[in-house]
Amino acid sequence: MTWLLQPFATIGAIAAFFGDVVRTAATSPRYFAETIRIMWILVGRCIIPVGLAVAPVGAVISLQGLELFRMFGLERMLSSLLGTAIFREYSPALASVMVAAQAGSSIAARIGTMRVRGQIDALAVMSVDPMRYVVVPGVIACAIVTPLLNVITNILGVASGWVFAVPLGGVDHGAFMEHLTAQITPADLWIGMGKCVLFGTSVGLLAGYLGMKVKGGAEAVGQAANDTVTQTIVLILFVDYIVSMVLLGAGL
Amino acid sequence: MRVALEFLRFAQRALVAQLTHFPPMDALVRQTYQAGVGSIALLTMLTVFAGLNLSVQSYATFERFGGQDFLGMFAGIGGVRELYPVMAAVVCGARIGASLAASLSNMKISEQVEALEVMSIDPMRHLVAPRLWAVTIALPLLCGYADVIGIGASYAGAVWQLGLDGGTFMSQIRQFVRLQDLLVGVMKGLVFGWIVALIACFHGYRAAKRDGAEGVGVATNRAIVHGAVVCIVLNLVMSWALYG
Repeated sequence: MTWLLQPFATIGAIAAFFGDVVRTAATSPRYFAETIRIMWILVGRCIIPVGLAVAPVGAVISLQGLELFRMFGLERMLSSLLGTAIFREYSPALASVMVAAQAGSSIAARIGTMRVRGQIDALAVMSVDPMRYVVVPGVIACAIVTPLLNVITNILGVASGWVFAVPLGGVDHGAFMEHLTAQITPADLWIGMGKCVLFGTSVGLLAGYLGMKVKGGAEAVGQAANDTVTQTIVLILFVDYIVSMVLLGAGL
Repeated sequence: MRVALEFLRFAQRALVAQLTHFPPMDALVRQTYQAGVGSIALLTMLTVFAGLNLSVQSYATFERFGGQDFLGMFAGIGGVRELYPVMAAVVCGARIGASLAASLSNMKISEQVEALEVMSIDPMRHLVAPRLWAVTIALPLLCGYADVIGIGASYAGAVWQLGLDGGTFMSQIRQFVRLQDLLVGVMKGLVFGWIVALIACFHGYRAAKRDGAEGVGVATNRAIVHGAVVCIVLNLVMSWALYG
């Protein structure tokens, strides 16, 4: 029966871990310098892969959307589909997936390596709370960096969509811009940013949890890094679905 | 730049080894099983959420101009042509590529690859070719599987959650999703599988003894990220060539 209960135990452990992180983050002392150092590293490592991953998506949406909209003679409306899809869904989700792949796995590997080498225990011996010094800065850095990257990918996604719609797809530039600005509300942008904060927190949280759980040697570290990527992606899609349902229910 | 050249040379050697040397059946079956069946649970979970999400999100988008009735068309075409193949490639590619890169770089760091060379066994044929074949076989199958699960999930989302008419949804899918679209999706999976495996093997193979255990981490990380980016870019190129 244990295999049936295992998932619930894991979910419970992650929830407890989350509670720990929130409590630690809410109380001082806080290590701002460490957080900012990690943020710089994350931005440097993620910006190119995230940009390269999101830009083609805008182009694909234009490409396929144009074909579908042409059936109804609605090419002019393409930009509102492109804008909502990029701002609300694909830019946040994909940027977070790439942050998970690039940053989440490296955070998990770093914490796991510290664990294996006994550095985490050493910190605790020096009465530095490892949660406070190692895990919380990672979670906060992910939660801040992901929305920042999302700003860039929003622009990139719409720009690449524009390239495939206007010069290559023959949509009128004026109509494209008009529908983009008329149909997209600031709410769409903020929803995307809010999602990014949620997803980024999930990335940092799972990376910290799986990294702290490492036992054994280098292989366990590698395993934790890989698990972070796949499990975070599942978690991101799950959270995304819940958020979409809530927004639909709220009529946003 | 040098890395790109190195990669091209590696790709050429790997392709020659793959085409001239079909791996022994038992090794191939074992590798394919690990790559394919090992990913099914992950892929199922992902596709269920992605399919539900596709319905809910496109409903929210189409409601703005009163096009809810075309949800089936949009969810079907968008999913089968683009979303499910790319998702399967990125996520299963991350899982499979990471394990390929980890195993190869481990062998490289413990000098097992050099040991094979000393015994005049070509590691390209013996290690890389079976892995390339396995993933090239497994990923298209996973893509086909994702199509089925994804459309089912979109249907569930549209009909049970959003209260759309199930018959309209299915007739839209039947009308607009053609066999070519399914075949294109599966063919994309074939290309993604090959390139993901190749990138993973390349990064695994580049690890050297002096890198130590950290080399394994670097190799797996690069395999995941480069694989995902290359798949997404290649997807655009293929869609452009086929539908543009």
